[in-house]
Amino acid sequence: MTAVLALQQINKQFGHGHTAVTALKDANFEVSAGQFVAIIGPSGSGKSTFLTIAAGLQTPTSGQVLLNGTELATQSEKARLAYRFNEIGFILQSSNLIPFLTVTEQLKLVDKMSKRPFQKERAQTLLHELALSEVATAYPNELSGGERQRVAIVRALYNDPSVILADEPTASLDTPRSIDVVNRLAKEAHQHNKAIVMVTHDQRLIGNCDVVYKIEDGVMTKQ
Amino acid sequence: MYLGLKEMRHEKLRYSLLSGVLLLIALVVFMLAGLANGLSNGNREAIDNWQATDVYLNQNTNETLSASQLKLADQKYIKGDQVTPLATLSGTLRTDKNRHKTTISALATSRNSFIMPKVNSGHRINGRNQLLISDSLKAEGYKLGQNVRLGTTKRTVKIVGTYTSSTYMISPTIYTDIATLNRLKDMPVTSGNQQTINGFVTKNGRFSHSSHGSLQHLTMTTFINKLPGYSAEQLTLDTMIYFLFAIALAIIGIFMFVLTLQKQALFGVLKVQGIGTKHILAALLTQSVAMSVIGIVIGLGITVGLAQIMPAGLPFVINWGQFGLYSLALLAAAVIGALLSWRTVANIDPAVAIG
Ligand SMILES: Nc1ncnc2c1ncn2[C@@H]1O[C@H](COP(=O)(O)OP(=O)(O)OP(=O)(O)O)[C@@H](O)[C@H]1O
Ligand SMILES: [Mg+2]
Repeated sequence: MTAVLALQQINKQFGHGHTAVTALKDANFEVSAGQFVAIIGPSGSGKSTFLTIAAGLQTPTSGQVLLNGTELATQSEKARLAYRFNEIGFILQSSNLIPFLTVTEQLKLVDKMSKRPFQKERAQTLLHELALSEVATAYPNELSGGERQRVAIVRALYNDPSVILADEPTASLDTPRSIDVVNRLAKEAHQHNKAIVMVTHDQRLIGNCDVVYKIEDGVMTKQ
Repeated sequence: MYLGLKEMRHEKLRYSLLSGVLLLIALVVFMLAGLANGLSNGNREAIDNWQATDVYLNQNTNETLSASQLKLADQKYIKGDQVTPLATLSGTLRTDKNRHKTTISALATSRNSFIMPKVNSGHRINGRNQLLISDSLKAEGYKLGQNVRLGTTKRTVKIVGTYTSSTYMISPTIYTDIATLNRLKDMPVTSGNQQTINGFVTKNGRFSHSSHGSLQHLTMTTFINKLPGYSAEQLTLDTMIYFLFAIALAIIGIFMFVLTLQKQALFGVLKVQGIGTKHILAALLTQSVAMSVIGIVIGLGITVGLAQIMPAGLPFVINWGQFGLYSLALLAAAVIGALLSWRTVANIDPAVAIG
């Protein structure tokens, strides 16, 4: 199986001199289609930094990010934007939603950007699966933290990307809901052949994962 | 489009206030333009009605009709379609016992001249001491058959006809023949070709000879621009209008910039989702164009409404071609104002959404 997304010898430093923080040290990582991968580590260990580099939102200080074998750094800004839009579903740790769009409109926006008609059935199915049908016409500020997080997940799935990068998608959910969400992501990987990377610090949620990486002080180890 | 309009619908108050500001600017632009047109029209309406192309004045008079003195006989120097003499007097038209008093511009020419207006009621000038008055003077109480005086002279003339209203130098016009006007001016010569006049008007005029006495040729455009006060008035009002375009540009630019700064986190989220600078700018453009269209349309509506109820003494003329042009200029200001935020939008780092 070839890797959809691979990161090789990634280093990331913030700042210079003696105030420099090394967020990632020689990190190696790969995920293939149909794999559900977890990255687990304590707060401040570099999990978010890793995900944003994988998504092309930040450039590493050194090392390579390969998407389907092509190095991301060699691509134009425009190509990276298209890559982010088409290939990657990114679920941020905090606010992901556009405040002036309802839940359904957040999905419509994806279709508008791709210049295709609204996929009503797909939207309804996804919203139903994540128990969001009731709030389909609500604005983000009318939702609970958990609902918002689930809307972000629906949004990421909706565009049918080949890779989903989720930064603590269960952070504001109770345990049963968290398990639902993780199962939903696992299903997406295993049944729809997606590469899914989930960052979490909750040991109980990694039962469904095919591969687990541990990260501590910027050092990543495959379990 | 989608993003921009959805945001406006969600943030109605913010965007209506901004549309309101643009509405006020558009309104002032249109009002000033209407007044500038009104003043311009008040100065030149009679001249425009002539449809003449050339004016001949005395060369020593700084291109001002009333200061220019020529003789009827000077016509021999000019060739053109229908060369016609012109004399003017601005003064007070009054009836017996000063019951009615109005400041007017008196224009005199030959009785069958092409610049003599078409009569709507009464008859053309066909004898001595006859006068045609602008229709608008009827509303002031003047009527056909009335004997009126002009200026301080005791001589009277008789109103024999009226014509579609026109103005010259911001006053309603009256027309008479050269001899009558010279009598009213108490000129020593009131017949024959040694009579004093102020100038000649013609179409496609030229000098018939290389030596042409003390005559000077002016195109109609130059002549109008040299009307006392005309250029200064127009320039003042036009300058105010141009400043308003700059102010509209600055206001839209500043508002859009401030909104952009406020929405950096949101734009960061959009960029994380792969929605780039191009789409964000398109949303800003949609919003500023939508707001200025709203402002311009309502501004035009109010201007047209105000024009209906404006007092008659306030010269106000709507020129749709010009209003269209000014609307486009305001729209251009909105587009440029929104584009000024381009760099800021382009520089927003998607990483700000992650913080
Ligand atoms: N933009 C930045 N500038 C400077 N330091 C940064 C920046 N972003 C992250 N860091 C530092 O890098 C380290 C890793 O941060 P990161 O956000 O990746 O941690 P995390 O594992 O996601 O933590 P958490 O579980 O709390 O979200 C931290 O020490 C953090 O202070
Ligand atoms: Mg984090």
